[in-house]
Amino acid sequence: MSFKNILENWSAFRKDAEAGGHHKYDHRWGMAINLDVCTGCNACSTACYAENNLPVVGKERFEKGQAMHWMRIERFWDDADKQYPERGASYLPMMCQQCGAATCEPVCPVAATYHTPDGLNAQVYNRCIGSRYCSNNCPFRVRYFNFYSYYETWAEPLNQQLNPDISVRDKGVMEKCTFCVQRIRTANDKAKMENRSIADGEVQTACAQACPTGAIVFGDTMDPNSAVSKLWAKHEVKRGDYLSKKPKQHPEKRGYRIFEELNVDPSVMYLERVREEI
Amino acid sequence: MSGFKVNRRDFLRVLGWGGAGTALAGCDMPSTVTLEEGKEDVVAYFMPEEYVIPGVGVWYASTCTQCAAGCGVHGRVREGRALKLEGNPESAVNRGKTCMMGQAGVQAHYNPDRLTQPLLRDGNALKPVSWEVALKKIAEKTADIKSDRVAWLSGTVSGHQAVLINDYLNAYGSKQHFTHETINANVWQAVARDMLGDAQPVLRIDKAQSILSFGADFLGTWQSPVHFAAQYAKFRSGKRGILIQAESKMSLTGGSADAWVAVRPGSEGILALGIAQTLIKRGWAKGDVPAKVKDMLAKYDVGMVSNATGVAGDRIQRIAAVLSQRAPSLVLAGAPVEGAENAYDSVAAVMLLNVLLGNIGHTIEPSVQFAETRMQARTGGTRGVVEFAKLAEAKKLDVAFISHANPVYSAPGFVKMKEALGKVGFKVVMTQFPDETAMQADVVLPLYSALEDWGTHVAAYNAGSASISFQQPLMEPLYKETRGFGDAVLALLKQRKPKEYAAFNDYYAYLKASVTNMPAAVSKDIKNKDQIWNALLQKGVLETKGNVGKFKINAAVEAVAEVQGDAQFPYRLLPSARLGLWDGRHANSPWLQEAPDQISKIVWASWVEMHPITAAKVGVKGGDYVRVTSAQGSVEAQVYVFSGIHPEAIAVPLGQGHEEYGRYAKGLGVNPNKILSPVFDKKTGEVASYATRVSVTKLDKSARLTHLGASDTQQGRKLVSTIPAAIYRRTEGEA
Repeated sequence: MSFKNILENWSAFRKDAEAGGHHKYDHRWGMAINLDVCTGCNACSTACYAENNLPVVGKERFEKGQAMHWMRIERFWDDADKQYPERGASYLPMMCQQCGAATCEPVCPVAATYHTPDGLNAQVYNRCIGSRYCSNNCPFRVRYFNFYSYYETWAEPLNQQLNPDISVRDKGVMEKCTFCVQRIRTANDKAKMENRSIADGEVQTACAQACPTGAIVFGDTMDPNSAVSKLWAKHEVKRGDYLSKKPKQHPEKRGYRIFEELNVDPSVMYLERVREEI
Repeated sequence: MSGFKVNRRDFLRVLGWGGAGTALAGCDMPSTVTLEEGKEDVVAYFMPEEYVIPGVGVWYASTCTQCAAGCGVHGRVREGRALKLEGNPESAVNRGKTCMMGQAGVQAHYNPDRLTQPLLRDGNALKPVSWEVALKKIAEKTADIKSDRVAWLSGTVSGHQAVLINDYLNAYGSKQHFTHETINANVWQAVARDMLGDAQPVLRIDKAQSILSFGADFLGTWQSPVHFAAQYAKFRSGKRGILIQAESKMSLTGGSADAWVAVRPGSEGILALGIAQTLIKRGWAKGDVPAKVKDMLAKYDVGMVSNATGVAGDRIQRIAAVLSQRAPSLVLAGAPVEGAENAYDSVAAVMLLNVLLGNIGHTIEPSVQFAETRMQARTGGTRGVVEFAKLAEAKKLDVAFISHANPVYSAPGFVKMKEALGKVGFKVVMTQFPDETAMQADVVLPLYSALEDWGTHVAAYNAGSASISFQQPLMEPLYKETRGFGDAVLALLKQRKPKEYAAFNDYYAYLKASVTNMPAAVSKDIKNKDQIWNALLQKGVLETKGNVGKFKINAAVEAVAEVQGDAQFPYRLLPSARLGLWDGRHANSPWLQEAPDQISKIVWASWVEMHPITAAKVGVKGGDYVRVTSAQGSVEAQVYVFSGIHPEAIAVPLGQGHEEYGRYAKGLGVNPNKILSPVFDKKTGEVASYATRVSVTKLDKSARLTHLGASDTQQGRKLVSTIPAAIYRRTEGEA
């Protein structure tokens, strides 16, 4: 947010892209996660560790809430009052929701967290001063702070596995899910060299690629023909201002975005879990 | 390909051609990635190796060896380093997908605690030696060995590795190859063999409209989880099948059930017979069973079964109704049933349901017979390790070879594996890690990691097509003094039969010759022998010709004995398996230690799961330490209280409690295998590992349980929203 924007057209700036605000997006990466087939197996989370150079913090630091799992599977029991959890567990894959109106962005005192033209909440590691305001302000609790220089903990030769496409973060820096930005950029470069646009399915995040049940679908929500756009449309989930939005035509459609009422415009649509009454 | 010589450079060249075409969508190009928008050009100031383009990742097809499922993988290699594994879409097993253990395959490779040199016993210590010295020692010790005094103990092996082990033992005239897997489906296979005439029937979860699973954790730890997970996704789409999971401790699969039914541990078979009786009584049975079986079933009326299993009578009838209405159905039995003292009869009772419901031929299909039987997977259970230990204990073994297994850790405590091994004249252990078994060896041969080695694999669970999956090195070995498993066995074979194997310089040459000379009967793809090899390496899998077998149904099922209680040991111990640490072999992967258990969300620890009712009886709350005591010994761990377990059971998960095995595993948690009682399933001889009775005592110690998540409930927020299936059917479901 520059001062110039505020002076020139504050009202346009405050509107989101759908309402004619002046965000110029090339892509808007988004996801659809089908909670009915998510089995909570952890494949996505482990794939994320492998792809994104996530450090292992160990038991003591995990206990302090310092685990660096960009993608985590939360597990809830909904039948707490019953003798047995007869409807199983509720699993929630949770990672940065890449909000269109992200609450983490405006609070950064040094603009280390900002919005990219493809709709990602990016984190500039070498600009970050570690104030942790962004993390405090994130309703999803998906920003992770490097309390230590974890690169020192990669015992040789485990460090040889580190993905050279992205940096290893140092102490004092905030980090989070990037929607595998390195894969997006690589595909972008390739498409540009071949003078075409990125095809649907050309970029997959590590989690989506691993998911054994295909619960995670990733793609460009600006491309109406992408698989993810079709899912969003099918389940009547639209981006944009929650407050001014019309209710769903078919309220029973399964799509929803978590904490949508906070008006943060998440880029991840979840599909409701289904249970049969036996 | 006799006399085919290959050096590293040539070998990488072959790899390059093999892998160049394997480039996937989304493959890397020179990139200028930073999180900022600005661009920067990175220029490498060195002359790269052939087929290494700085900044460009190349993908090679290989096979995951983290468990016996045999998933095909693509490994990403950049600047000569293997970085990431993804599923190989060509593989019929996993169709491009991976599980968490597959993802952690790179950590087994780069693990800092790998063995880097052969070790030779010198008194109480193992001293590093060269391969020449180690092999010479083996040659000495095996020089005049008699055929019945040598044995091989391994985990699951298949492909040409299994052929070589077989050939090596044949060189002595020995048939003593024992196999051992803690997590197995041996009883299921035995029952399928006896009742269907096919030990490995193909399961079609995707075709089923309803599934009743008796503790079969097919999404987590049963047979081929990634394969079944893809089928499960199909099962849940369209008409959306119903999953009912009946077990005494919630498994990963149970977490996804529409209805999770708590069953008294050990009574699963009785519940199955009760449902069978309901099906017959109500006239819902589609398949026929012998009159003798019908007579036997007569006593399993709803009241009796409800009493024995703790499942309400109307629930039993409802389950029977769902299964018969939502056809085709599928009924499965997993580890808790296969590990009971009435295992065989219980699993047979489950299979009887499939016969009665008419599932045979619909959701249970005959397997494709693999043409090369010698390459078929040799899976194991717990019987093999017990038999091996008996031989050793009786001083009937002079030489033992152990590979792909860590029996000192994983064998039940009553087997006393460490002491038994002490009575074997000479032990050779082939492994990647300094595990508990390696520490007992006389010679330890350090092996390549799966990402450095050659091999062929045939999946232990045949996923509807008979295929060979290829394993090829993704990178140069990290350590000079390690060797491939095939290379090691080949070296041993050359000691016995120098002439026969002289033509093969290394395992690569052997493998290439063996594969390209396979008879055309094995695969229609084998035509041009020169081209086939590279094509196979590129694709990673070879579909083989195989005849689809035929079922021969034999439904002569017997009654299931009720399990007995014990006043001194009031609870049944469930040594539950985890997708992640598996049977303990992945406890040395930091990623898998830090990945929370799917149910309890606990990390880096062992724990004791118990129902709130049990916890109240024992007088403990979550985080308190307890001692779990069986007649064989005791273990201590923290309590995790949750209601997804039967009050008469307690669960201590497998995987931890290593005394060796490197910095990430050693000294962490407890191993429930060590307190198992010597109870066996009479018909299969497998250890009834779920039949140990224990008592629980509170210890004067408590600490917070380290786990993910601050709240166990959603606290009224719409995080995971759940809707009734009726709504789903209105909006998306097919009629």
